[in-house]
Amino acid sequence: MQITEHQIDDFKSDRKDIAPPLPAVLRLVPLVFYCSIAVAVILSSIFAIQFQLAVQKRENHKTATASVAVQTQDAKNQRTALEAQIKKATDIQNWVASSRPLQPLILAITRSMGPRSSIVDLRLDREADNPSQIKMNLSMGTDSTKQLDLTVEKIAELNYRAFSPTQTLGRGQLDYKATLVHQDPFSHQNEEAHR
Amino acid sequence: MNNKHVSCGIVALFIVVLVQSTLWVQGNRTQVQNEASAAQQAETDANAQLNQERGQLSELRRQSTDLIEFLRIWQPYFTTIDNPQSAEVNLSMRIKEANLVNLAQRFEQTPVKGNASIPSTLRAYLTFEDDYARLMNWLGDLEVKMPTVRTSSARLSKGTRANDLRIEVILEQPLLKQ
Repeated sequence: MQITEHQIDDFKSDRKDIAPPLPAVLRLVPLVFYCSIAVAVILSSIFAIQFQLAVQKRENHKTATASVAVQTQDAKNQRTALEAQIKKATDIQNWVASSRPLQPLILAITRSMGPRSSIVDLRLDREADNPSQIKMNLSMGTDSTKQLDLTVEKIAELNYRAFSPTQTLGRGQLDYKATLVHQDPFSHQNEEAHR
Repeated sequence: MNNKHVSCGIVALFIVVLVQSTLWVQGNRTQVQNEASAAQQAETDANAQLNQERGQLSELRRQSTDLIEFLRIWQPYFTTIDNPQSAEVNLSMRIKEANLVNLAQRFEQTPVKGNASIPSTLRAYLTFEDDYARLMNWLGDLEVKMPTVRTSSARLSKGTRANDLRIEVILEQPLLKQ
């Protein structure tokens, strides 16, 4: 059976409920969407590359810092060890400086005695707090102070300087007390050389 | 509101999500860049500290050259005798070898004040009465051969015979800290 064109048109219903077109501004939304996709991809790629570079830079700096910290600690350990060595050397030097042999001093005193003089008693004691200082107590059998002058001269020849000397003469015995301090003759020369 | 408005809303929401995600990536990048800058600053500071430490070390080395040389020379003398037993045996042997008339001898370990490296010494209280020359030679020889020993006290008086000398000495053998 053949249907006429007029009859077909009759099947189509009227589309009365079609939505009204969007305002002109809202028609920009899809455009903005496409642009934002493009911009987001570009910017995100740039940021991601910068992110990776920054991560690499941060890790490099951290590694370098750790290496420097190890070197610094090594230098600190070396300095601590050196300071300990210096302390030890200073302590030993102090001990050696205050342990100068007494035998040459005793010999100088005994050999300074003249034919009419003799040593009754000689005592040399290092001070407990300052062992480089020697307390000397000398009792001589003599009747003149010339012998003492000679003895003091011999002591001075060994570069000992007498501090707070006291002497008592009576009944053919002379008592002499002094604190002896050794002085390095080269130290004066060095000081003069520095001047 | 029709379906076109809804579609617009959804698309706008996508735009917001895109912007937010881009901002999030940017934020992460900025944070890491700040961390990298901080790490660079830390490295610069660490380098400065290292240079300072090395400078101090080299200056200290330069200043202490003589002291360290002194220690190198003297330390072996101190380390040979480092305990009271060996010090006592050593001194006793030297007295016995000299064959001197020894009236008394006593040993005691005493602390040393103000010397951290030599915390104690072995003190020998010795009394001899013998020929003057022999005693002087023995004391001189001891002080030369044992340069670390300190004669902290010596008292001389006449002996019973003409050439004899009575000497009371206190010798101190330093005991180096281990």
